[in-house]
Amino acid sequence: MGAQAIFVFIGGGVGAITREFLMLLIPGQRGAFPLDIFTANVVACLCLGAAFERHRRGSVSQEFMLLIGMGFAGGMSTFSSFVYGIYSEASSPGQLGLSILYCLSSLVVGYAAVWLGLASGKRLRRA
Amino acid sequence: MRPIDIIWVCLGGGAGSLLRWGLGGAIDRAIPARFKFGTFLVNVTGAFAIAYLSAALALGWQQRHGDLVSSLVLTGFLGGYTTFSSMQLDTARMAMEHRHALAALYLVASVGVGLCAAAAGVALARA
Repeated sequence: MGAQAIFVFIGGGVGAITREFLMLLIPGQRGAFPLDIFTANVVACLCLGAAFERHRRGSVSQEFMLLIGMGFAGGMSTFSSFVYGIYSEASSPGQLGLSILYCLSSLVVGYAAVWLGLASGKRLRRA
Repeated sequence: MRPIDIIWVCLGGGAGSLLRWGLGGAIDRAIPARFKFGTFLVNVTGAFAIAYLSAALALGWQQRHGDLVSSLVLTGFLGGYTTFSSMQLDTARMAMEHRHALAALYLVASVGVGLCAAAAGVALARA
């Protein structure tokens, strides 16, 4: 429990920093599509899908899953900023269309990314 | 972004991820259902918290670092606490078990109730 918590903490911290760096690389503009959070969420879905599949097949340890899946992917992705972004854009004048586009594209592409991650986890021979 | 922001984001992300792991796991053990109440409740409470704090402190939703509350609490802690990737993986796992209606319900309920929680957070902060 104690040692496992360290894996989750480190993975989550590094994941959150990675999301933050993505936000610097892809500067968000007021009133534009939030590509930064979108990208962080999609990459995290890929990563979690692959880690989950490797762990399900027993080719990576529980600690690896806690570090990469629970920690890194969970820390990099964010539901709070995602939903609050949708809400904020939807309540700004003239931004309802963007808000709906952001919501639906995140859900569809994120879902596809999880499946792509799961499929790539099946193909990898070693992790 | 200043170096101190990176440290705050990392510490917040680690701590938030730990809480998600502990609380989400405890909820799943308390409510053993195919609908993943752990991730669902973590995400909904996180959406409420980010909306309440952002509205109370008059922070724009794309303003995510530069001061202690933004870096440590909003981007770090709440970003690490909530997860978009686990929501998508949970959905994919329900679909894998051919529970497509449940998978769709889970995804729609997460976003729908998350949006209501964000609206409630903003309303409470402005009350």
